[in-house]
Amino acid sequence: MLKALSITACLLGASVAFAHDESKLETMPPASPYVQVSDVLPLPAFLPGLGTLFVDPATLPAGPFLGYDHDGKLSATIYMTPLEELKNGVAYDDLAVGKHHVESVDIYYNAGHPGVEKPHAHVVLHHDASAKARLAK
Amino acid sequence: MIMTRRELLMVAGSALLAVNMPVLASGQPQVLIGMQGTARGERVWFDPLGLAVKPGTALKFVNRDNGNSHTVTAYHPSLFGHVRRIPEKAEPFNSGYLLPDDSFELTLTVPGVYDYYCLPHEHAGMVGRIVVGNPGDEGWDDSAIRAGGLDDNVETAFPSVNDILTSGKTRAPGLT
Repeated sequence: MLKALSITACLLGASVAFAHDESKLETMPPASPYVQVSDVLPLPAFLPGLGTLFVDPATLPAGPFLGYDHDGKLSATIYMTPLEELKNGVAYDDLAVGKHHVESVDIYYNAGHPGVEKPHAHVVLHHDASAKARLAK
Repeated sequence: MIMTRRELLMVAGSALLAVNMPVLASGQPQVLIGMQGTARGERVWFDPLGLAVKPGTALKFVNRDNGNSHTVTAYHPSLFGHVRRIPEKAEPFNSGYLLPDDSFELTLTVPGVYDYYCLPHEHAGMVGRIVVGNPGDEGWDDSAIRAGGLDDNVETAFPSVNDILTSGKTRAPGLT
């Protein structure tokens, strides 16, 4: 019984920690401390497969990065985790999400780019069924 | 005129390059080098990876990767503290970040071996080698091939000077 209560308390605590007013992030641009990635790094404004990215610099390198489609709708939350760091025992726990509903997740290798130069994994959470197609190009 | 096997292969290599060689307004041929990557960025590379040119050839690097930015950066102590891997008498070069469809023009005149890399993608082995002229040319400097100072995965990414001179150009593994 005590164990069950502890688990319930932990889950409640976690849900409070992750809960946020997702309507504030629904359309581009999200408020500070988020910055548009292409404003601070030499990258295209719209990245095929990821969208127009915003990130809170304090959360680099993992993110979350918020990916918006061409109409400015939040379509994906992306994490970038350097493989070397993972191998060295670094864990990226309790990362926030841009939107609570996740339709599908893609995980793939990326050789690097400005901002996250070391080879890393992209973890892409698509927030609705057509998000992936809207972000494709 | 009797051509040596190497000279014959150089001519053949030059002929292959001709399909990738527009002509400048001045009439001088310009050799293109693409900066490329897969759609999701799993692989990035210079194409060609290794290239043989005559001294004074105009080179143009073009970013053909829609989802990434790249640089053309010489291995030189004045640039990010790298060991020198270009001829001692050559000027170091650095394009800065090139967004998709941006380009960078470069002309190399000192005979020898020039190694360069992409700043955000060196870890991924995105490097290139240009051989200007031929061994025996006055001022030839191939100290790059003995310079060391790189991680193994980067060092092994360079094609050999002999392969470059033999074929005129080499491409990244897996490309035909």
